[in-house]
Amino acid sequence: MMRPILYLLYRVYRLISWGTYFTKRRFTILGQGIFGAVCVAMVTAMDVDGAVGYQAVIPLLAVLLIAFVFSLRFRAQFAFERKLPRVVTAGQPFPYRVVVKNLTPKTQAGLTLIEDLADPRPTFAQWREFKLDEDRHVRPFRFQRRDFRSPFKMASVKEVEVPTLRPGQSGEVTLEITPLRRGFVRFVGLTIARPDPLGIYRAVRREPLAQSLVVLPKRYPLPPIALPGGMKYQQGGVAMASNIGQSEEFVSLREYRRGDPPRHIHWRSWAKAGKPIVKEFEDEFFVRHALILDTFTPRPFSDVFEEAVSVAASFACTVLTQESLLDLLFVGPEAFCFTAGRGLAHADQMLEILASVRPCQTDSFAQLETLVVNHANSVSGCICVLIDWDEKRRKFVEKLRLLGLPLLVMVIRPAGKTTPLELGPMSDAPGNLQSLEVGRIEEQLAQLR
Amino acid sequence: MKPPPLLLGAALLFWGWQSGLFWVGTGLAIVVELAAIIRVRWDFSNEDFERIWTLCSFLLLAMVLFAFAQNDGLSTFNSLLENNLDPRRTTLTTARTASNVMRWLPMVFFPFLIAQTYSTRDTIPLATISHILQRRWKMANRLGHRLPPSRGFNVGYPYFCMVLLAASFHSSEGYSYFFGFCVLLGWALWALRSRRYSLGVWVAIIAVAGVAGFFGQRGITQVQRYIVGINAQWISRWMRRTDDPFQTRTAIGQLGVRKNSSAIAIRLKPNESGEVPPYLREATYRRYGEGQTWFAGSSRDDFSSINEVPASATNQPYWPLVDKRTWGSVQVSCYLDGSENGLPTGMLPLPSGAARLERLMAFNMKVNSAGTVLVQGPGLLVFDAHYGYGPTYDSAPGTNTRRNNRQFDTNAPPRDFAGGPERRGEGGFRGEGRGEGRGPGGGGGGGRRFGFRPVPDEDVDVPPAEEPFVQAVLEQLQLTTNTPQREVIARLKGFFDNQFSYTMWQGVKGLKLADDETPLGHFLLKNRKGHCEYFATATVLLLRQLGIPARYATGYAVHEKSGDEYLVRFSDAHAWTLVWNKNRNTWEDFDTTPASWVETERDAMGSLLWLRDAWSRFKFELAKFRYGQSNVRKYLLWIIIPGMLLLLYQIVFRRGRKLQRQKADAEFFANWPGLDSEFYRLEKQLGDRGVIRGDAEPLGDWLRRVLETPGLGELRAPLEEVLRLHYRHRFDPHGLNAAEREALRHETSRCLNTLSAAKTA
Repeated sequence: MMRPILYLLYRVYRLISWGTYFTKRRFTILGQGIFGAVCVAMVTAMDVDGAVGYQAVIPLLAVLLIAFVFSLRFRAQFAFERKLPRVVTAGQPFPYRVVVKNLTPKTQAGLTLIEDLADPRPTFAQWREFKLDEDRHVRPFRFQRRDFRSPFKMASVKEVEVPTLRPGQSGEVTLEITPLRRGFVRFVGLTIARPDPLGIYRAVRREPLAQSLVVLPKRYPLPPIALPGGMKYQQGGVAMASNIGQSEEFVSLREYRRGDPPRHIHWRSWAKAGKPIVKEFEDEFFVRHALILDTFTPRPFSDVFEEAVSVAASFACTVLTQESLLDLLFVGPEAFCFTAGRGLAHADQMLEILASVRPCQTDSFAQLETLVVNHANSVSGCICVLIDWDEKRRKFVEKLRLLGLPLLVMVIRPAGKTTPLELGPMSDAPGNLQSLEVGRIEEQLAQLR
Repeated sequence: MKPPPLLLGAALLFWGWQSGLFWVGTGLAIVVELAAIIRVRWDFSNEDFERIWTLCSFLLLAMVLFAFAQNDGLSTFNSLLENNLDPRRTTLTTARTASNVMRWLPMVFFPFLIAQTYSTRDTIPLATISHILQRRWKMANRLGHRLPPSRGFNVGYPYFCMVLLAASFHSSEGYSYFFGFCVLLGWALWALRSRRYSLGVWVAIIAVAGVAGFFGQRGITQVQRYIVGINAQWISRWMRRTDDPFQTRTAIGQLGVRKNSSAIAIRLKPNESGEVPPYLREATYRRYGEGQTWFAGSSRDDFSSINEVPASATNQPYWPLVDKRTWGSVQVSCYLDGSENGLPTGMLPLPSGAARLERLMAFNMKVNSAGTVLVQGPGLLVFDAHYGYGPTYDSAPGTNTRRNNRQFDTNAPPRDFAGGPERRGEGGFRGEGRGEGRGPGGGGGGGRRFGFRPVPDEDVDVPPAEEPFVQAVLEQLQLTTNTPQREVIARLKGFFDNQFSYTMWQGVKGLKLADDETPLGHFLLKNRKGHCEYFATATVLLLRQLGIPARYATGYAVHEKSGDEYLVRFSDAHAWTLVWNKNRNTWEDFDTTPASWVETERDAMGSLLWLRDAWSRFKFELAKFRYGQSNVRKYLLWIIIPGMLLLLYQIVFRRGRKLQRQKADAEFFANWPGLDSEFYRLEKQLGDRGVIRGDAEPLGDWLRRVLETPGLGELRAPLEEVLRLHYRHRFDPHGLNAAEREALRHETSRCLNTLSAAKTA
């Protein structure tokens, strides 16, 4: 019974979004105003005796009709070249350039360039899943709590005016893309729009030009963090330890970190710098951290999950230096471990993986446990980014503690949830359990020590 | 986008001129345009704009209330309380209120425009006028989150559109609005035109649009008036019925099936005796003419008004028809499916012998001398019809016949239902008089068109064309003018019952007429099959031939019981005879149609009748609510009043109550016994170690959890002792003595020291 109704609503949604897309693409702001005015004037025209609003209907309609007629013939030819960066970051507006070449024998002026992104409308199954989830979590008529932004729209690109182009001339325009969420933005073409003399309705000409762009997760600046755990012997050995380790070969000096053996202290440098400095050697002993991302949420689109990915990405960027290895552990369609650092892979690659992480809606937390326990022997410490602090997750953390792993646990919580967390297994190290509230994550991460 | 200089001022001047508020418009225009000279600007914050928007909203509310009161809205509201709503007045009040409010909109929102014009900002955040965005901002502020971004807008162009809209709310016939609108529109478009094209192209387009607009808007007036002018009543008749108060075209002599809809037309509920009248009469006709049509004849335009008798100590208000004793009453629910001057209009179906109508919410009522009752009122009427034996509201035989003859001779225009020819086209029902009435000059008195001849008495008139056939039947039945009326009635009834049959189908064979033969003559002498119109017409003419006054009545037969009410469908539409009983001086119903007609009609209804009935019931209940015929409005008011009172209470007292509660809470906590216990410091310190006490978690349980954490083994005994003392300090009515109080203090301090030492270590 519900399915046909939902399907009908889905078709209505598709129709309305198409209407909105068409209106914004074809009508200028002035055109949208004129269109609205025609509708209002037609309503007042119902009563020709009480109001003279009907006298406005025909002039407005005539203006619209003439504008439409002007849009019928637009056969100009253009060539485009889009110069995109390889990756961009979610939420950060990014300018890019498009070269437009006028292939017509006439000078073209007053044109607008519109970027065509892939149709963001979801399939019925996706839409249904999203709507049912939204209805479960937002009470009816709580409009201020409802997020009217579509979770399927990947990016927005502002349209720009094209400079006047003489026949055969090329011009460069700068467009600005604002990626709205991590993932892939797919470009399908570029459209040139030409307004009518009144500036109401636009004729459009579309040229296909497919490209794509990776949108990395949003990242937060992190303060210098002393991550728990010291060096460990790595079975991979020297092959993995391309630069830094503990061989007899002295490589460089660096600041003392908790856990460094005192015999590596370089006393002369301490005397000079006024703070402990240690020597670095090349060997198969080095620091290796695990970054555990909790992906288990029943919600297909969740702010908390997105923020968890962002926090994980922030750690991946900050922690990953030449000195250490970082294992990213999470469960997607299957258990997944990706190691980066020390010449194995770069932070960019880890971020690209994080850009495409999806929530795991099956309740298979045990898989993550197994994955982490298998890696426990080789890692010096763990950073857990969790999206809840329930019994299941507390037990998981307790297990890691029993394995003797030093932990830094981040629990992402929905906006407005400020009650203190039950320390549970982290009661002896309360400083290593951090609650991060959606909306205040940047501020709370800055307080990390 | 900001409007070009002087555009807003010009628009305000135009609005002032069009809406009759010229000086107001001039003042507003000067204030707006002075901004170009005065360089002082105010730095309004978002909150200031929010407050100004709220002020405008309150102004709008005040304007609505003022317009409502000014346009007689309060008295209309009063009638809602009395459950006596006049839809015509309500509609007028609503229209006038809306029109006034729309006209005053530029004044209402002027403070907002001025705030922006004289502020340092070019745009105002959308959140200042959007409640949803405001709530989001407030929520983000409360949670300490970053404020969500909000788009800005310039008030100029939206205000310009509003001014043009407001200027249109007047009913001038001229074209001043059109020209003013075009000029201002062109001005606004000029500022926003595309620079790709030359000035000439732009001017040419605007000129074409202007000319097209001028001729087009004249056309739109015609079209709109044509659409409004289509008479809904005419459509409904054409769809379903062929009669009106002035004539009824019978289906006599027509081929094919005569079939009516099985939709429910009337609902009847017996009130006291449980009996219902067998017929509900809508109209009576006196002259049978060309085209097998019955006409009201001289009763056509002699409608007279009936006024409602106001309530007295003994009676509730009622509409009087005849002053006589009644023995029964029935509740009738019927639709008025016609329309005249925008008001629902129709003929009232009434039981024979109806004397007075109670609870009838009609606006006005007219009755003609043939006994047809016309009313205007809400689309659905539910009323009690009281009826009884004795005189009826029909006129005596021969009434007005002489006047009618004179009228036909002079070709005078028919009188208007609402009071005379001088009011034609302005109000009231008009005698449409198709066929009989309208002459070439739009007048009336078209009697000559059908060859009506002056007759001494319309109620005994038989058309010459029908006379031979009627006479032949009478001879066959051996009836003469000397036969007693009672015997005539009995013989005619027997004649039709025994020798005729009912049919809804007339084939070609049945209508194969000889020369000089009329369809009715063919029915009487040869075919002897037909529907009720044949039987009723034949009976009237037979009686009249014998000198007995008779009239042709149309309406409905009542026979179908459903629960505690009777349903009357359109297929129950019926025609019968009114015969004058000279002994009683009254008209009596005489139906010669064979009783089998009911079954025949019923068979034709189909199997999904129950579904149609259910739908009809739903529509009926909806119509009852819509037209104020149910008590829902009354109950609604009783629901609304407590709701409003509750709301008022919430607004007035809620803040006070909250303050009171806070105060009471503060007092309660200040006097809390044992609040000075040192244990709370201990609780805080232990909580800092990571074991947080849950909401409403007993201290004992919490302490047990605390003691499970490593490193607190040696504190178990002192902590338990401290807790015991704390509980006594809190809850023991005798409290602690000085030594015990000191022990609590001392032990707590010792535990705290131990914990601090452990932490430092």
